[in-house]
Amino acid sequence: MLKSLWSAFKAQPLYTIYEWQRQRFLWLLMVVVCLFLVAVAHYLFQDYGYMKPCEQCVYIRYAFVVMAIGGIIAACNPKNVALRSIGYLFAFYGAIRGIMYSYKLDIIHKAAHSDDIFGVQGCSAVPSFDFGLPLHEWLPDWFNPTGDCGFDAPTVPDDVTLSGFRKAFVEFYQNGWYLMPSHEFGNMAQCCLIAFGVCAIILAFMLISNIKANKSVQ
Amino acid sequence: MLVTNRVGVFRKMLVGLCAAVFSAVVAHAAPLKEGTDYTTLKNPIPNAKNTVIEVYSYACPFCFKYSKIIPQIAKSLPSGAVFKPYHLEQKGDYGKVASEVFAVLIVRDQTKGVDILSEQAGFRKAEETYFNEYHKKNNRWGGGKNPDSFLQTGLSAAGITKAEFEAGLKDPKVQALLKEWEASYDIATIQGVPAFVVNGKYLIYTKSITSLDDLQNKIKTLLAQ
Repeated sequence: MLKSLWSAFKAQPLYTIYEWQRQRFLWLLMVVVCLFLVAVAHYLFQDYGYMKPCEQCVYIRYAFVVMAIGGIIAACNPKNVALRSIGYLFAFYGAIRGIMYSYKLDIIHKAAHSDDIFGVQGCSAVPSFDFGLPLHEWLPDWFNPTGDCGFDAPTVPDDVTLSGFRKAFVEFYQNGWYLMPSHEFGNMAQCCLIAFGVCAIILAFMLISNIKANKSVQ
Repeated sequence: MLVTNRVGVFRKMLVGLCAAVFSAVVAHAAPLKEGTDYTTLKNPIPNAKNTVIEVYSYACPFCFKYSKIIPQIAKSLPSGAVFKPYHLEQKGDYGKVASEVFAVLIVRDQTKGVDILSEQAGFRKAEETYFNEYHKKNNRWGGGKNPDSFLQTGLSAAGITKAEFEAGLKDPKVQALLKEWEASYDIATIQGVPAFVVNGKYLIYTKSITSLDDLQNKIKTLLAQ
């Protein structure tokens, strides 16, 4: 199955992508990846690891959810041009907003961890989502920023004593979330930036293949 | 070796001189732009001519960082202008308690004739302690479940008893100050905290501040506006 997909891709890359975006699996893959990342952020890092989300962090969650919604709409029937177009619209919008939020978070993260505090605005007292959506009121556990701007180190309540794996997990991230905490390499913002960037590039190829294929038909 | 070194030093001096001239020209010549440097509040704070207000929260990392330059900013203000801290009660688990502690201590300091930003001011001691506990020691005082321990941290830093605090809270001056600080929330929602408001109506965009000098210049320009 995978082998035949790969050989088709190698033979005619753009046409194969065109065919793929008219099928469900690529869209569903995007949905699964986006929702999985949000779920990991919420259940693993926020609930289990006591790492509270900051303002930009909840915006990043929102951006992933927007992409997932686009994926779900397109996956209803990817052969339908209208549904696919709405899917692209949501997915691109989510990816681009996500890149913007991640980039801003990275700047805030850098400033928050250095002595040069100028040139950035920290976090707002209340989040403001696009179109004034009150997501933080509808789903406060998921979208209300309770963490400090640019900091994502675990804050364990005083009356909680951790043991075993959970203790090790919290200690592993005691200086904040990094891809490699021991080297403070790859902060949350940078990793999200890469995730959104990769999505945007793949989506761009999908869209280009779609436009090209339509042109060659005409 | 010696020659290149001399050239290097000379070049550095020249660059430095150019930079100094350039920044001096820019600092005085460049007018502030509404929309990028600052915005005018739709609901200005009344009776705030000749003031610089900082809206902030003990639970905000950048407020903690800015707190270190606040005394310098206050000192460099033109004569007649005053610096006023506005604590935001909506942020952090104990924002309201912190506001009450700060308001009581500010009124106490002022009654005694102590500058609230000086080392011996109760306000400054309590504020520094809260900032350091929260941002350096990661103290969260039970995450909202233990307001008493939070209160105690501030009071013991300032050296007053709980009875003195409770009596102070009834003071009409303290209540008036807390009432005045209610304006903080609307300002904080515009761009977040810390937020500097000059003359009660010009909100400086924190993002546009490039250095301490720049902030001082912006304040000076807006005070005269």
